[in-house]
Amino acid sequence: MREFLCKLGWLRQRNPKEDELREELEFHLTAESEECKASGLTERQARSAAHRDLGNLGLISEDTRAKWGWPMFEQFINDIRYTGRTLLRAPSFTGAAVLTLALGIGPTSAIFSVARGVLLKPLPYHEPDRIVSIFESKSTANNPRNAIASANFAEWLARSQSLQNIGMTGSSRRTVMIDGQPEDLPGRFASSEVFRALGVTAAMGRTFTASEDESGKDQVIILSYEFWHNRLHAREDIIGLKMIVNGEPRIVVGVMPPEFTIAGEKANFFVTYGWTMERLRTSPGRGISHAIARLRDGVTFNQAAAEMKNIAAQLEKEVPDRNANWTVNLVPVHEQTVDQIRPAILILSGAVGLVLLIACVNVANLLLARSTVRQRELGLRAALGAGRARLIRQMLTESLILGVAGGAAGLALAFVFHRGLLTLMADRIPVPRLDQVAPDMPVVAVTIALALGTGLLFGVVPAFVTSRNLHGSVREGGRHGVGSRSRRVLGAHVVAEIAFALVLLAGAGLLIRSFLRIQQTDPGFRAGGLLTARVQFPGAKYSDLRRRTAVVNDVLAKISVAPGVQSAAGAAFLPMTGGIGTGFYRTDHPPPAPGQRLSCDVRPITPGFFRTMGIPLRSGRDFAPSDVRESKQVAVISEALARRHFPGENPIGKQLVVRVGPPDGPWEIVGVVADIKMNSLEGDMRPAVWVPQNQLVAGGVSFLLRTGQDPLSLVNTVRQAVRANDPELPLADVMTMDGVVGRTLARQRVVTTILAVFAAMALLLAGVGVYGVMAYSVAQRTSEMGLRIALGASPGTLLQTIIREAMVLVAMGLAIGLAGALALTRVLQTQLAVKTTSDPAAFAGVTLTLGITALIASLIPAWRAATVDPLVALRNE
Amino acid sequence: MLLQGTLDLLILRTLLFGPTHGHAVAKRIKQSSEDLLQIETGSLYPALHRPEARGLIAASWEKSELGKRAKYYSLTARGRKELLAERAKWDTFSRAMGLVLS
Repeated sequence: MREFLCKLGWLRQRNPKEDELREELEFHLTAESEECKASGLTERQARSAAHRDLGNLGLISEDTRAKWGWPMFEQFINDIRYTGRTLLRAPSFTGAAVLTLALGIGPTSAIFSVARGVLLKPLPYHEPDRIVSIFESKSTANNPRNAIASANFAEWLARSQSLQNIGMTGSSRRTVMIDGQPEDLPGRFASSEVFRALGVTAAMGRTFTASEDESGKDQVIILSYEFWHNRLHAREDIIGLKMIVNGEPRIVVGVMPPEFTIAGEKANFFVTYGWTMERLRTSPGRGISHAIARLRDGVTFNQAAAEMKNIAAQLEKEVPDRNANWTVNLVPVHEQTVDQIRPAILILSGAVGLVLLIACVNVANLLLARSTVRQRELGLRAALGAGRARLIRQMLTESLILGVAGGAAGLALAFVFHRGLLTLMADRIPVPRLDQVAPDMPVVAVTIALALGTGLLFGVVPAFVTSRNLHGSVREGGRHGVGSRSRRVLGAHVVAEIAFALVLLAGAGLLIRSFLRIQQTDPGFRAGGLLTARVQFPGAKYSDLRRRTAVVNDVLAKISVAPGVQSAAGAAFLPMTGGIGTGFYRTDHPPPAPGQRLSCDVRPITPGFFRTMGIPLRSGRDFAPSDVRESKQVAVISEALARRHFPGENPIGKQLVVRVGPPDGPWEIVGVVADIKMNSLEGDMRPAVWVPQNQLVAGGVSFLLRTGQDPLSLVNTVRQAVRANDPELPLADVMTMDGVVGRTLARQRVVTTILAVFAAMALLLAGVGVYGVMAYSVAQRTSEMGLRIALGASPGTLLQTIIREAMVLVAMGLAIGLAGALALTRVLQTQLAVKTTSDPAAFAGVTLTLGITALIASLIPAWRAATVDPLVALRNE
Repeated sequence: MLLQGTLDLLILRTLLFGPTHGHAVAKRIKQSSEDLLQIETGSLYPALHRPEARGLIAASWEKSELGKRAKYYSLTARGRKELLAERAKWDTFSRAMGLVLS
């Protein structure tokens, strides 16, 4: 204890004690040399004899100081202080290292946080891995997630032994009165069992009871927490409140917990189907819903899937008309939730991983190069009394400080990047649970540890190598600073860095180019100069279909004469927003067998739609206002349908039966129009049957206005025309047609934007890396260059020599990278279902870009070396 | 050559003759061992500071015979006790060694 206090006292008076030690040793030298003088030596001889006798002053002071207090701690502080000074004295090295680390750590943490939060975190359900979603799929179509037939659902309820709580859910837009204003909002159908299958109870109130599934008792609604909180001002008296939904009253029975979704689908509210078992059993087709259920205790997923396939096979035999070629498809609910976004996140994770790798190689380069440069300094410090362990510790401290600084900068960048990512994705891509993703501390910690580890690894290795032969390095004056070994290591770094960068650039190039190709696809209509706005008719108030057509026709009559409007039309489904796909056949051909039915997209529209959209009419006529409910049912078909089903014939005047409910047909073909992309720019030109909206009335209509001015300037025109008909009809999805098309590309746009950023970062880092290695290796050979010039070598020859060396490494890296990129293309195609073909132009482009970047990066230092003044170079010795 | 820890004992023993500075301690150890114990002068100073930290010896700055200020070390009461104890241990040890070897 006493010793401790004593040392503590000394710690405070460190500097006086240093002085005292110096004075004490100085006195020793004086006394010793006095004695030597007495024995007849000269002043100088005596002095050096005394020095010899005493030994290495620095080492003695060091050892003595060690007896004073806490040597490890002291030295650590000193190391940090010293390292800080040396790092500040090399700002370009320090800046490059910290920036590189930050660029590696920041985006990686952000992306991996998202990946972990969205892909890996268990869903907030009770035993989420026991929950399955059930879809149907047709063997002749490529849609494993098709909606289910309600009639089959009813059979599953009766027959399945392996599943419990089988519920049904599907999307449902409703007009909800909020503060006296009608608003068209996305919600969901959810039968009462859905909540039990998920194992989630309401935060307030309750979920649906089984009887509320039934028609007549279904005047109830459950709200999402967010809707209640943000739109209904979190009012306390919400349970039992009456809300007007689609013009009818519903009682609020519950509010779900925050962030509750059904398999990641956002919804403001939940309503039951209001079915009867009878209606379920006799419902003809497949709607928009799928089923959700929970595995019974002791049943595995595979057992349940097998049982359901069996039931589907039975149903196929029993009801071939509905079920020929159809089977069921069970999907774990987690898979269903993340399936859509998984490829994007995996691609981004891979890309950012490569950026991190390149950054790590860069840091390693920097440290390795620096340690070799410092060999002479270290030799000097060893000669002045620094022990080997001490030197190693010193170099480790440096790596550590760099790691910490880079980590801190990276962490800051991670937050910035994370925020940017959320802003970029927000609302554009429906990533389930994205808004719940915060920068994930474990992820950040692992990333920082990785970067620190790189720092330490590449700090330790050179530290050992360097400290082994310090005396030699002083003697040689650091001339051979770069040994053949570390030069090989640096060469390998260049190769690795180029290879990683090329893989990333090629992958990004591939995806970006295929995105651009999709974006430039001609949709078959002119999207520019079009405004769209949607009206959804509340079922109760508009149960008389004539009322709907009356509103549509009156609104169109009003807006088509409004100033600025060139033409106007309506469509039940906008192109690019989905719609009905169904079976059809020619009346002059025998009806096809069940399961062999031809399918087409059916789209109700108003007259003038083709003109407004800019879709050319190939033959026949457009619809006319005279094509009404009472007149003959007419249809216009697409060229694709005409080509496929009327080859070499004139389809005009022929008739089709189209299964769209009560008015199945026949529909007489009166015209043929050019093909358009129906559902997305990526999709095929599907056969389409256009019918008059007067004859096939849908639940809503999207108005389309063509104008020469800014389309958004016409919003009020539409709004007033709709209000004039019914002030309670809400106008939804008011946007330009360009916006509608762009929305279908949103996810790819976000992904490719981020990829482009990563690719740019990789290019930059690789360039900096090559520059660093070349600058360093050339600097090491300055004297050699000087000598060569002095002996008559021309700068041009020297430049060539250096560049050739660099380019051999770069070429190796490019070759390896190309091989990796080819492998990556295969992975993208097979594993992630990315539609890319191998794209030689993209590969050539990125290879060239990277090669040129590397060339420039090595040209600068090479030029500097080749034009060095021989006198200066040799004086460097 | 020097056994571990013996340098401390030698220093304490040397200081028994009275306060003195490092240089003199080194000389005295050399002389009194008839130059048999070749201690490295460099290792003396760390060895002097260790017992100082333990409070076995005290230091003060005095004017030296050369006219310059020098750091004089002297035994403290604790140091004296330590010396006796260590001395006894050492005697036992060397007697034992003598008995075994003779």
